[in-house]
Amino acid sequence: MKLEIRDLQVRFGGPAARPVASVAGLTVDAGEIVGLAGESGSGKSMTILAVLGLAGTAGATVTGSVKLDGQELTGLSGAALRAIRGRRIAAIFQSPSLAFNPVFRVGELVSRTLRLHGLPAGEARERADAAMRSVLLPPDLLRRYPAQLSGGQLQRVAIALALALRAEVLLADEPTSALDVTVQAEVLELLRELRDARGMAILFVSHDLAVIAELCDRVAIMRSGEVVEQGLTGQVLAAPRHAYTRELLAAVPRLDGPGPGGPGPGPGG
Amino acid sequence: MPGEAMLAVRDLRVTFGPVRAVDGVSLEIGRGPFGVALVGESGSGKTTVGRAILRLVPAAGGTIRFEGQDVLGLRGRPLREYRRAAQMVFQDADNSLDPRMRIGATLGEVLRAHGLAAHGLAAHGPAGRGAVGDRVAALLREAALDPELASRYPHQLSGGQRQRVAIARALAVSPRLLVLDEPTSALDVTAQARILALVRRLREERQLAYLLITHNLAIIPELCEQAVVLYLGRVAETGPTAGLLARPAHPYTLALRSAVPEVDAAARRSRIILSGDTPHAAAPPPGCPFHPRCPLAVDACRTTVPELRAVAPGRQAACHRAGEVLAGLRPPGAAPQFRGQLADELP
Repeated sequence: MKLEIRDLQVRFGGPAARPVASVAGLTVDAGEIVGLAGESGSGKSMTILAVLGLAGTAGATVTGSVKLDGQELTGLSGAALRAIRGRRIAAIFQSPSLAFNPVFRVGELVSRTLRLHGLPAGEARERADAAMRSVLLPPDLLRRYPAQLSGGQLQRVAIALALALRAEVLLADEPTSALDVTVQAEVLELLRELRDARGMAILFVSHDLAVIAELCDRVAIMRSGEVVEQGLTGQVLAAPRHAYTRELLAAVPRLDGPGPGGPGPGPGG
Repeated sequence: MPGEAMLAVRDLRVTFGPVRAVDGVSLEIGRGPFGVALVGESGSGKTTVGRAILRLVPAAGGTIRFEGQDVLGLRGRPLREYRRAAQMVFQDADNSLDPRMRIGATLGEVLRAHGLAAHGLAAHGPAGRGAVGDRVAALLREAALDPELASRYPHQLSGGQRQRVAIARALAVSPRLLVLDEPTSALDVTAQARILALVRRLREERQLAYLLITHNLAIIPELCEQAVVLYLGRVAETGPTAGLLARPAHPYTLALRSAVPEVDAAARRSRIILSGDTPHAAAPPPGCPFHPRCPLAVDACRTTVPELRAVAPGRQAACHRAGEVLAGLRPPGAAPQFRGQLADELP
């Protein structure tokens, strides 16, 4: 198993405090996209931070186990973790504009990250260009500043960076929530291709079960810090066992929803 | 649309220097309860249309009539009265509420500024007291919020609660028209569903007319009788919502519809992925502004700007191939565009 989470608990305060995120078991295999779904505040993002070994920076304490290819990550030294984080486990977030330092050209940020992970400058540039082309962005964009790129373009640069580092696991925390639906469709397509063509293991966090349905092979539903239901996406969404899953499903807006109250337009036209 | 429209926008133009952000947009909003959706991607000019209607940005051309009055010519007291009758709810309630003011003070200030409650210190109290406090509590209840929230600061509220406060603030002056600018796009779907249900209830209770600005077609069927699809500052397609969604006449509407994620695999449409972003309005392409991204473009599209014309009763589209699209013409199934590249490019 590529990524394996067991008895993970994230707490603020002492061991008696109620966990803000509690995941008894969640796995993501290579070539698989697993969804983590729930409302704001349900603990999805804290789970992602804990897997990245960054929950401590937010002041939380983490217990339990996170394994990458069987290697335990919790308890690793800072240096050992830094060699894995970003390189073997990459992450993309909701606001790509916040993930890029605005005063540096995009290419500078990308090549600096690649050099930090041990690539010589020349190779870093080549890989960055190739990765840009593989997400269908012109490498010229690397010479621009983050503010000169659209949200969708920046999100694809973030994915290109993961590609250039040959990341095996991608943690995607609401990567399309701030994007237009058209651009969202494009990013979702790219993530599917990462799974199919590169065999990447993707943990995808979203509040939107329609997005989960389109993308994820399996899904875990999270509420108030706990996983309340998980299974194959098709099965969970077709026959939800937990009332909360049904509630999330009912919230998804539908193109064929009922018309506005009162006398409305007839069908067709 | 029964009787005369409450708001009639004709050939509206808004320019920022050389940029034609809004280039000849017309739309009508009927007397409430009535909803019109203004749909488009980032950069389509949809927010600018909403701001121009409320006189928050100057129009470079065209006319706006509200209940028969010429909005663009209003000055002084009539302008203030118009701004009471027509209110805006912004996308980002985090930034549209003063972080240093308690919710009750924010709502009380609106009431006093418009002379709807007496001036006085009472309203500055934590939970509000007296007449203003009562009005504030009633507004919060109307927006399905606990009146106790009047004593809180914006950061102590959830995103959904803040957006309800923004709606309550707009309602404080008893408007007849609301411009809702992406009111749910910063929220998760659960909070979004609650806001949409709130608008649905208020439109009947308050007989509200509104313009709902959004990039997501899925939220409009329940709220809007009419829809206007905007692309690069121009109307691509307009008509009754149900018909427009069921049978689009413009390839851009087809693409927007296909981009909506669906829970039900059977409801999923073959996806039309638009390549590239909206071109910038400073350098619009020649011919149809949509042609560089359009999967159905033909030679005429590259040279001749399509006029907005009637394609069916009550429906208009600006597309050389609207008749064919309406009759069922679809682009060939989209091939996965990244496939192959990922394997090939990297050594």
